Amino acid sequence: MNVKDTVIVLGIVSLMSLFSNVLGTKANIVESIPGLLILAAIALIGMMASKYLPGGIPAAAYVVTIGCIMTIPGFPGSDIVNLYVKKVGFLALCTPILAYAGVAIGKDLDAFAKSGWRICLLAIVVFVGTYIASAIIAQAILKYLGQI
Amino acid sequence: MKNIKLHAIILALIIVAELIGTHTITIGIGRIVLLPMLFALLLGILTTPKFLNLSSQKEMVDASSLISVTLMLLMARYGTLVGPTLPKILAASPALILQEFGNLGTVLLGVPFAVYLGLKRETIGAAHSIAREPNVALIGEKFGLDSSEGRGVMGVYIAGTVFGTIFFGIMASVAASTLPIHPYALAMAAGVGSASMMSAALGSLVAMYPDMADQLAAFGAASNMLSGLDGLYMSVWLGLPMTEWLYKKFYKIKYGVEPKEGEEA
Repeated sequence: MNVKDTVIVLGIVSLMSLFSNVLGTKANIVESIPGLLILAAIALIGMMASKYLPGGIPAAAYVVTIGCIMTIPGFPGSDIVNLYVKKVGFLALCTPILAYAGVAIGKDLDAFAKSGWRICLLAIVVFVGTYIASAIIAQAILKYLGQI
Repeated sequence: MKNIKLHAIILALIIVAELIGTHTITIGIGRIVLLPMLFALLLGILTTPKFLNLSSQKEMVDASSLISVTLMLLMARYGTLVGPTLPKILAASPALILQEFGNLGTVLLGVPFAVYLGLKRETIGAAHSIAREPNVALIGEKFGLDSSEGRGVMGVYIAGTVFGTIFFGIMASVAASTLPIHPYALAMAAGVGSASMMSAALGSLVAMYPDMADQLAAFGAASNMLSGLDGLYMSVWLGLPMTEWLYKKFYKIKYGVEPKEGEEA
C-alpha cells in the first residue's frame, strides 16, 4: 500500500471509529474528532517509519512507542494529546476492526470451523501458562528479596 | 479500498453492534462479557456468502487487506494509554519486572499442546502470547489476520475477550487455594495486559485475603501497566522467535518431517 492509499484507508477507518465512539462511549462528535486525528497521525508516522527505516521493526511497535512517548507526562504537548485521545474509547476502536475481520473471516469459515475448538482449548492452556509462570517467577524473586 | 459497498456494510455493522451494546452474564463468581466488537464480528460473518450473501468474495478480500491498517489506529490509542503510566512503571520493583518473563510461559506450555492438538501454523498466532490487542496487531501485520497464524491469534483473542474475565477469576482462586505461592506473587501475575482479566483475578484474591487488599491491588495494577508496555516488544523479540523455534522442534517430533509454510490444521 502506498502513502496515498494508506492515508485514505486511515481516513475511512477514523470515520468508522467516529461512529463507534459516539455510539459506544457517548462522547459527542466534535470532541471525538481531534483525538481520532491525532491517533491517525501517530498510526501514519509509525507505518511510514516501519516502511522506510532500516531494521525491519513492525509498524505496530513504532506506533505504540510513538503514542507512548507523546503522552509521557512532561513531554511537550503531552497534556493536550492526552486530553484529546482520552475522548476516544479503546473498546470503541475495536468495533470497526472486528467488523472488517468478520467480513474477512467469511472466506476462511471452513478453516475456522475446523480449528476453532482446538484453538479454544489452547486458549485455556495459554492463559494458565502465562499466569502460573509469572506467579512462580514473582514468588522466587520476592522470596529472594525477603519481601515475603 | 475504494469498495464503497464494503464500507457501507461495515458502517451498518458498527451502528448495529454499538446499539446492541455491552452485555454481561453473571455465572457464579465470574462474568461472561459480550462487547459490541463481538457482535460486529458475528454480524460481519453473517453478511458473507454462506449466510446473507451481502458481502461477496470481493468484499471479503478487500476487508482482509484493510485490517492491518485498522489495527494501527488501535495501537496508537494503546500507546497513549501506556505513556501516562510510564513514570509509575519505571519505579516498579525488580520482582514486578522479572515476572514479566513469565508471559513466555504461554510459549513453553502452549506450543507443545497446540502441536499435540494437531494445530499447524495456527500455533504461531495462538501460543506466542496471551493474544491481547498488540499481539493481534503484530500477527496481523506479519502474516495477515486471514492466514493460519491470524486465525490462531484471533481465536485466542476472542476466547479471552468473552471468557477471560470468568477464567482469570476462577484461576486466581484455584491457584491461591492449591499452590504454595504467596498472594503478592499471584497478584503480580494477574497483570497480563488486560485490565478486565487483571481485575477479575484481583477480585478473587482480595476476597480471599481482604487484609492485603491495597497491596494486592497495587501489585496487580502495576504489573498490568508493565505488561502493556513490554507485551509487544516481548512478542516481537522473544515470544515469536521462541514460538517458531519450538514449533519446528515439536512438529518434527510428532510428524517426523519439517513443517511447511502456511500449513493449516
